[in-house]
Amino acid sequence: MRIGVFVCQCGTNIAGTVDTRAVAQRALDYPDVVFATDYMYTCSEPGQQEIQNAIAEHRLQGVVVAACSPRMHEPTFRRAVEKAGLNRYMFEMANIREHVSWIGQDRAANTLKAMELVRMAVEKLRRNEPLFASEVPINKRVLVIGGGVAGIQAALDCADAGLDVVLVEREQSIGGKMAKLDKTFPTIDCSSCILGPKMVDVAQKENITLHAYSEVESVSGYIGNFTVKIRKKATYVDWDACTGCGLCMEKCPSKKTVDRFNEALGVTTAIQIPFPQAIPKKARIQKDACRYFTTGKCKVCQKICPTGAVHYDMEDREVVEEVGAIIVATGYDLFDPAPYGEYGAGRYPDVITGIQFERILSASGPFGGHVKRPSDGKEPKDIVFVACVGSRDKSVDRPYCSGICCMYIAKQAILARDHLPGVNCYVFYMDIRSPGKNYDEFVRRAIEEYGVQYIRGRVGKIYPNGDRMVVQGADTLLGAQVEVEADLVVLATGVESSRGAKELAEKLRISYDQYGFYMESHPKLRPVETNTAGVYLAGACQGPKDIPASVAQGSAAAAKVLALFARDTIATDPQVAGVLESACIGCGKCLSVCPFGAIQWKTLRDGSRKADVLETVCQGCGLCNATCPPKAIQLRHFTDDQILAELDALCA
Amino acid sequence: MDTLHAHLEALFDDLELVIGWETGYEPLRPTPAFLRSREDLSRLVWNPLCAPNLSVYLPGILKDAKETGKKIGVCLKGCDSRSLGALVQEGFVERERLYVVGLPCPGTVDPEALAEARKSSAPVTHVSFRDGLLAITSRDGTEEIELERVLARRCRRCRHPNPLHADVILGDPVPPRRTEPSFSDVDAVEAMSLEERRAYWEEELSRCLRCYACRNACPLCVCRDRCLAESRTPKWTTQRDGVRDKFLFHMIHALHLAGRCTECGECERVCPVGIPVALFKEKMARIALELWDYQAGTDPAATPPLQTFDPSETGI
Repeated sequence: MRIGVFVCQCGTNIAGTVDTRAVAQRALDYPDVVFATDYMYTCSEPGQQEIQNAIAEHRLQGVVVAACSPRMHEPTFRRAVEKAGLNRYMFEMANIREHVSWIGQDRAANTLKAMELVRMAVEKLRRNEPLFASEVPINKRVLVIGGGVAGIQAALDCADAGLDVVLVEREQSIGGKMAKLDKTFPTIDCSSCILGPKMVDVAQKENITLHAYSEVESVSGYIGNFTVKIRKKATYVDWDACTGCGLCMEKCPSKKTVDRFNEALGVTTAIQIPFPQAIPKKARIQKDACRYFTTGKCKVCQKICPTGAVHYDMEDREVVEEVGAIIVATGYDLFDPAPYGEYGAGRYPDVITGIQFERILSASGPFGGHVKRPSDGKEPKDIVFVACVGSRDKSVDRPYCSGICCMYIAKQAILARDHLPGVNCYVFYMDIRSPGKNYDEFVRRAIEEYGVQYIRGRVGKIYPNGDRMVVQGADTLLGAQVEVEADLVVLATGVESSRGAKELAEKLRISYDQYGFYMESHPKLRPVETNTAGVYLAGACQGPKDIPASVAQGSAAAAKVLALFARDTIATDPQVAGVLESACIGCGKCLSVCPFGAIQWKTLRDGSRKADVLETVCQGCGLCNATCPPKAIQLRHFTDDQILAELDALCA
Repeated sequence: MDTLHAHLEALFDDLELVIGWETGYEPLRPTPAFLRSREDLSRLVWNPLCAPNLSVYLPGILKDAKETGKKIGVCLKGCDSRSLGALVQEGFVERERLYVVGLPCPGTVDPEALAEARKSSAPVTHVSFRDGLLAITSRDGTEEIELERVLARRCRRCRHPNPLHADVILGDPVPPRRTEPSFSDVDAVEAMSLEERRAYWEEELSRCLRCYACRNACPLCVCRDRCLAESRTPKWTTQRDGVRDKFLFHMIHALHLAGRCTECGECERVCPVGIPVALFKEKMARIALELWDYQAGTDPAATPPLQTFDPSETGI
């Protein structure tokens, strides 16, 4: 083989602490290397041209570029060598920037390490083989998981572009957390007034199939061709027949059912439509509350239903959807303040969470929009808000900032003053984080126009005194302990990953961080992609986000899907596993470890069983290769021999 | 032993083959026996010298055996039966094609220790075993030696003398020497400093002949003639002399047994140069026990831990 080596200076990024000239010079001693040079910016247009010229001039059969991480520029250089007539896999990249120049100051040691990395790349390249991609057709349907505002936006954008959209929502209605909010910051516009029309759009678009009260059971396949099994949970009401008239709710005798939509502040019936604007506006029986299901007698709803929609024998149903891309918009959950025993949430009825206060403020909430306290229904005279409950606190394993609480506290304090002009509002805070457009102005308005009293410090303890609560905390600006008596305490509970997020990630084969938030492909440059091709992220499932950011991501994910679907076929990556049948011992370990179901049995004529890789399904993760005892299964472009050659070069 | 003969005699019509032990070139060395006719049954022996783990033969024999409807009979000690369990778990052996005769095992003999303990060095003409005593007869007369004195290392740490997964158990259950797993030999090596440990293993492994007896005797070494140690593509090990490639081979062997080793100790027993190679695998077995509370081969329905992925697993 005739190999050319190109050592990039990356301006001073590499050349600052690596003698690139010496690295290139040394490369000439390596086997098969016939040309080596260094260059200021190899990734630049003239830099790529230089590679192409050298390929022609020196009849190169393989190219090594020693530069940055392959993550960014491997595709660049692969295209460059391809233009010059080489197979794109006859190219290797040695990372002498992130792995060398950026992490060490010792020029001599760095230069030596760069030489070794180049040597490894050369040894790998000597064993490379040309690989060829194949094309598979794309199924131009998209699945959106989660019907909160991010998922709704993604679904609507895709549907507007003419795609078939499947929207799966775990709850009975779409709308997500936003549907529970009263008003939104920083404009104080009504949440359901701006979300409602979008929800209705979802229901009315003919190319959106909505599976509400349904969950994703399993996902198989690959980009362009996913098969998704969806479990439609039993509602005991035939939604094709149900008109959402609500008669059943009027007559249901189980009227003491905890109202989850109202965050347990009120009661509802066993058969329920969660809120007036619900989409779909259909009833569902909550089994554990239903008199018929618990005692065997009742059936009032069935008798009263004008369309005969109630069926007590309904069972979960599975539907299968074939899609080409998946947008994950599963949102978030709110921190349960129970670990803060000293705050007494759950023990004292007048210590509530932010989302509960949101329901109190809402006209469709448990108190019809009158600000009252849950214990005795009195109007509060003093309300204390406690920030950072389950945010920025390592002691409860929530070291991150939830990003939205500072803003929603300001909003709730303003709204409380609007509802009850005489009420005093106090906010205990650590820092005020209000970086969005018009956000800081909004907080200033709360302080300056609405007279909300901000006290900088943590709350140590909340305890009852008569029918009021005493909030004990520090005022770190005064350097003093303060006590505030309040009728109502609102804990600004933080954002955490949605329950079940990890299980769904396993099904989708995407990664998540230690808190269960999904990992984007690149924190800056690929914020809505995942590392699983064809799966995109939108909204708070990736990390805490407010409404504008979630909506923006919903649209961004839709744009990614549209870009993918702009083509009719997709090139499969040839860096996949392959089986050497004569070496396969038929132990089947690869089948059991393959996370993609890409390996199946094949029976030879002599009756022996061998592993067989479905190349379009294989993602090239290499688990099978690591597991195979005789190494009969090899990952193309990363074969054992290629990697052993690199190791040998390093240890030589 | 009479029960064993009588039992198999009665069943022989339903069996294609019986795998057991017979006297080898001397009574001290029983070897595996593959008996296809009723008359041969009389050759079977069973005593603490019957060391080989016969489950090693099962995958190959079952693969080649014709489907006659008859079963293959096999005699297994406690530790051997765990190997069978692991082979069933991994799908190499169909349990229903076997008739497993379980033999509660008092422990097996370490030949070196026995040679040491014997006063006579004359050729042995007869061996018998009763009440913990080996009676060894030669032209110098009969010597009685306590089994406990000449026990193999693997048997000193044995927790499973009584066979699992057997169709029939012949003989009274034997109380296990250990109720809790014992890794004191691993501990002893781990107590060494890194340099000492390296020197220890270089010294031990320098004797390795790469004869692959350890691999061939291992019931869970299922690659057989596709072993990575002799593969040219991919080429993991070379034929170069020197401790590095020997070490690599033993590491491959140990890692391939991670979460699979049933601690039968055959690898160490068959080593012609006495390298304590089972220590590597005992270390792996300990990790499997501590990480997943898993003992290979005890539950034929269990999935080996390295073939599953459970996101709720912690500490990994």
